[in-house]
Amino acid sequence: MAELIRDIELFGADIPRLEALREKGRRAFLLPTTKVEAWKYTRLDLLQKGDFVPPASKFLSELAGEPESCDCHHDDDDCRQQPEKDKAGHCCCGHCQALCPDLPFEAYCLHFHNGQFVPIYPALPQGVQVMTLMEAFARGEDDHLLGKYINLSQYPFAALNTAYLEEGLFIRIERGVCLSRPLALLFHAVGDGCLANVRNLIVMEEGAQAELLEYYFGGEETNLRYFNNSVNEIYLGAGAVLNHYKLQDEAKQAVHMALSCVRIKKNGAYKGFCLQKGAALCRNETLIRLLEENAKAEANAAYLANGQMTADTTTDIEHLAEKTYSSQLIKGVVDDKAKGVFQGKIQIARDAQKTEGRQLHKALLLSDTAEVDAKPELEIYADDVKCSHGAASGELDREQLFYLRSRGIGEDEARRMLIDAYLSDVIDRVDHLEIRDWLRGQF
Amino acid sequence: MNTALLEIEDLHARVAGKEIIKGFNLTINEGEVHAIMGPNGAGKSTLSYLLSGKPGYEVVSGTVKFRGRDLLSLSPEDRAREGVFLIMQYPVEIPGVPVMGFLKQAVNAVRKYHQLPELDTMEFVKMVREEGRKLGIDAEMLKRPVNVGFSGGEKKRLETLQMAVLKPQLAILDEADSGLDIDALKVVAEGVNRLRDGRRSLLVITHYQRLLNYIVPDVVHVFADGRIVKSGDKNLALELEEKGYAEFVKEK
Repeated sequence: MAELIRDIELFGADIPRLEALREKGRRAFLLPTTKVEAWKYTRLDLLQKGDFVPPASKFLSELAGEPESCDCHHDDDDCRQQPEKDKAGHCCCGHCQALCPDLPFEAYCLHFHNGQFVPIYPALPQGVQVMTLMEAFARGEDDHLLGKYINLSQYPFAALNTAYLEEGLFIRIERGVCLSRPLALLFHAVGDGCLANVRNLIVMEEGAQAELLEYYFGGEETNLRYFNNSVNEIYLGAGAVLNHYKLQDEAKQAVHMALSCVRIKKNGAYKGFCLQKGAALCRNETLIRLLEENAKAEANAAYLANGQMTADTTTDIEHLAEKTYSSQLIKGVVDDKAKGVFQGKIQIARDAQKTEGRQLHKALLLSDTAEVDAKPELEIYADDVKCSHGAASGELDREQLFYLRSRGIGEDEARRMLIDAYLSDVIDRVDHLEIRDWLRGQF
Repeated sequence: MNTALLEIEDLHARVAGKEIIKGFNLTINEGEVHAIMGPNGAGKSTLSYLLSGKPGYEVVSGTVKFRGRDLLSLSPEDRAREGVFLIMQYPVEIPGVPVMGFLKQAVNAVRKYHQLPELDTMEFVKMVREEGRKLGIDAEMLKRPVNVGFSGGEKKRLETLQMAVLKPQLAILDEADSGLDIDALKVVAEGVNRLRDGRRSLLVITHYQRLLNYIVPDVVHVFADGRIVKSGDKNLALELEEKGYAEFVKEK
């Protein structure tokens, strides 16, 4: 059996701290079976064959002085433009970017192609630093935060990501800086069999405010099989605010695994929204630690699953200090033989008095063969807390469907309207109005 | 000259395996107002759902023609697009679907069916507001989700507004007066009457006569045990109001 862990040459093999991290990842990775509680409902059969391979290191080929070619799989005839190269020799034809549909709102765009950063930087305002993770690591900019708080034995795909640690960005928003446009990380995949392990480290200093969008786009080609395995480590300093949006629209046969590990200090606020609608197998996992008083977090999500798809949303929110707040609304729409999985854990430590934790998962089942598994878990060790959780599933309301049709609206359109209505309360939690409309258009 | 709009012949229909409509005949010509009155449980609502195509209502035999076309073979949406509109007794609440957006979808779906261009949004909003004003529906109500938290009167006014913008050939009113006070009843009746242009027709299904003071019928039918047992002019309604349905129920 082919393994997901392979001996691949990566940048910085001679940097002990980097190599030690990778070694930890290699050792910790083990493909979980359904006997592992955290993976009980999400079968990983698609990964059993293990025939996903990371692309060759761009960093190494650059260091070796190999001419950088635009690997966006087009020849010059297709491109129509004379391909231009920037100073670093990268293709600037815009074709890579063109693979990703235009965003209907202003954003600072950063592109990844097959999990490799395309080093074209937007003009960023002062106080915002964006550089490759390797550059930040080599310069010690990461303050040893990289990988510090992820228990790799508990998160096998974070271990896999760490084993191939190289690609990804370091983003720092300096103290008090407020970003007016969202930073958009755009991931377009074209390579069949590609295993991409992007790792981003995002540091929001005290009082900084920003919006971050992750957009995974698989393109129209439906047969592409690839594996995106992303990890974000996000640090919110005192009073920092981050709105984190994500649209996962991978190719139909792809696998998407993602973990965001968020740590929030006093008065900091994290607000996440993730819409998953692509891939054959996907999990979006959010791990939040509310470290100090008045730290707040929301982890909202929606998923649309059809065909044979498995769409997993997993959260783990730990209240570690007094007066912390968390809220989660997750809504799914499941059709055909697809499966929706929600696992939501809220942990409230003994000292975390006067905290509030809210969680609600609801799913709409559109066929008799659709399935939803929901596992809410509350672990409460404090005695003065407000906590609630709920889970419900149902079908499209036949009376509503008939009502719309009796007014001349076709059945498909009526169903679409009702699904849109079903998801309206969760989409309304997206603060950025243009992003909200854009996400809503994906239903 | 009389042109038949709706022709129902010897209709038999079942709901959940039970025969509810048992040999029903009715012809409505263009421009006519017919009232169907009957005791509770006679199958009045079943008839309205059968005509609008609600799933779960099974036709055993008989024919229904609308403007010469077989109505029963059409989907609910196509019946609406052909010009059949049902004012429902209990309009369902649809959270998350705002009234204005819903009306626009409906109107454009009907226009598309008739190969007409979609309406300009500004024009459409203006038109809906104008029609709404006549029915005492303000802009705020048009922003709310369909029927959610609406009072009985508001729901019926919204039904009437939908009818006003969709301009059906045949409007079926299923117990349109239930849950309405006399002022709301008048508003709804006025809205319905505005639709009458000598060619559009109405089928008013009601238990009580009072609605017929405001929407005056050309023909009144007594509906009992799944069929029409007696027909007459508007005075039949007054007679029924006085004597009740006992006579017809006993006939069984």
